[in-house]
Amino acid sequence: MSGLSARVAVTLGDLDLDVALEVAAGEVVAVLGPNGAGKTTLLRTLAGLVPLRAGRVELESQVLDDSERGIRVAPERRGVGMVFQDHLLFPHLSAADNVAFGLRAGGVPAAAARGLATEWLARVGLPDAANAKPRALSGGQAQRVALARALAFEPNLLLLDEPLSALDVAARLTIRRELRGHLDAFAGPCLVITHDPVEAIALAGRLVIIEAGRIVQDATINEVTQRPRSRWVAGLVGLNLYRGEARGHTVNLPDDQRLIAADAADGPVFTVVHPRAVALYRGRPDGSPRNVWAGVVRGLDVHGDHVRVHIDGALPIVAEVTPAAVAALDLGVGGDVHVSVKASEVSLYPV
Amino acid sequence: MNVTTRLTPGTRRAETMPLGMTPLAVVALGLLILPLVGLLANTPWTRLGDLVTDQTVLAALRLSLLTSLSALALATVLGVPLAWLLARRDFPAKPLVRALCVLPMVLPPVVGGVALLLAFGRRGLIGQPLHELAGITLPFSPAGVVLAETFVAMPFLVVTVEAGLRAMDRRYEDVAATLGAGRWLAFRRVTLPLLAPSLGAGMALCWARALGEFGATITFAGNLTGRTQTMPLAVYLQLERDLDSAILLSLILLAVSVVVLITLRGRYLDTS
Repeated sequence: MSGLSARVAVTLGDLDLDVALEVAAGEVVAVLGPNGAGKTTLLRTLAGLVPLRAGRVELESQVLDDSERGIRVAPERRGVGMVFQDHLLFPHLSAADNVAFGLRAGGVPAAAARGLATEWLARVGLPDAANAKPRALSGGQAQRVALARALAFEPNLLLLDEPLSALDVAARLTIRRELRGHLDAFAGPCLVITHDPVEAIALAGRLVIIEAGRIVQDATINEVTQRPRSRWVAGLVGLNLYRGEARGHTVNLPDDQRLIAADAADGPVFTVVHPRAVALYRGRPDGSPRNVWAGVVRGLDVHGDHVRVHIDGALPIVAEVTPAAVAALDLGVGGDVHVSVKASEVSLYPV
Repeated sequence: MNVTTRLTPGTRRAETMPLGMTPLAVVALGLLILPLVGLLANTPWTRLGDLVTDQTVLAALRLSLLTSLSALALATVLGVPLAWLLARRDFPAKPLVRALCVLPMVLPPVVGGVALLLAFGRRGLIGQPLHELAGITLPFSPAGVVLAETFVAMPFLVVTVEAGLRAMDRRYEDVAATLGAGRWLAFRRVTLPLLAPSLGAGMALCWARALGEFGATITFAGNLTGRTQTMPLAVYLQLERDLDSAILLSLILLAVSVVVLITLRGRYLDTS
């Protein structure tokens, strides 16, 4: 196939990474996961910087790794462009020499390499930075140079390790938009590590979620945001997620808890409750809600025009309410509160 | 003298010294500085011009430059790979090997000279076959001086460069590799330039140590004018014959030390 096809098993310290993924040419896939999940190790393995214990990596019909046949192509022969965290520009070389490095290593004569490097610098919006040393560049400029350096030698695969994490908020928005343009123009497969779901949505069409060295979800953005398959992803996209055993309309959860859903199912399910669907009351509410329980407010986070209320109790949950509601209910950390969720707001999908 | 015990705002408690420390510190300063004052006070400044053309002085100067720079070159060519090995590779008994590598830094140089004689002397472990098969004799030759200086001075370079390699962010080498640079190219265009400050410091220390080498040189290579009599040896000899030329040679060595110290100011003179 054209594109990347990889099955990678790596043991590195405490990390036991074992993942398989395919990325088509021209496709951008975002890799998300908690710290230490193995995201960077996955990228370093694909770049040939970490040996794999078992597995096979194929790029554009060329085998880069095959543990069974004892094949391991050296990193300098893979044609893999990588943008590292904190850009890592060579401090002793000018911006143009940094960008030209890959071309020179590939045998392009100095003058031609310099010309191409200057073109690339112009393409990333830095036509005047050719002679600047990295320490004279701002974080955003350095990140642009690092991207130009990774793209200039025309790699077959592009790997970006948190390309925007070192930037301030203002620069991040601009560079993200530009980066999107460069990734669209890149013909090969591309993997981007990110911590930020918004960044993932802005840059990629597909998300791969890695936790503790395993892929827990590999799906489109819609699928992940609507049907997260792990508590970490759910928290990331701001949803309440519970794993339980469905029997008809009842979902049995750990610690003898249960939720009633409008839909029916049987067997192991993920149960999602959107924080906006969680209603809070000072006293026990009357009326139709099927799911009502008591809890204690553990924390309040203000997010723009809404407040996320973290509630401990028989079933810990996050509710999203307006600041007016917080005032009206006199919600404070440590205060008692009743939680109610309509059955129609409890959605189920199989594990 | 209650200045030392008074706490002023912004002064940390640790900065105040117990009573009686200050006089001792002053004595220490005197001990370090007075000899230099003595040297400068007795320098025959008006005669320096004539002394520089003195045959013994000139020969010692020429030989010292030649041997110390050769030792520096040898120590760099061999010491950088050794530092790389110690910093980047794991092998059995590595702590022991490292200890042996730095041993010459604390070993009395005379002992080093004796050890060199027993290894490279005409009846030595390696010296005997070297003499009989190849006709090469190291002791009491300029090459012997270079060997003695390298033995004593190379550890300074190895230790400094090894520390520099350990402190370096190795991901720069990873970047170079992903950009298509093979090991040698990455070493030449990335590792070496990033290592330049450590390498410079290591070379300066190494050269200064080689230039000042006395004990191992006189033991292994002897004291032959124009062949093995380096500046420190000439200083010692001229003390009896011509004090003024001994002072001149000492001044030259002092000047070199000052220059080296200025080169290393980032490492040893910055207190902040």
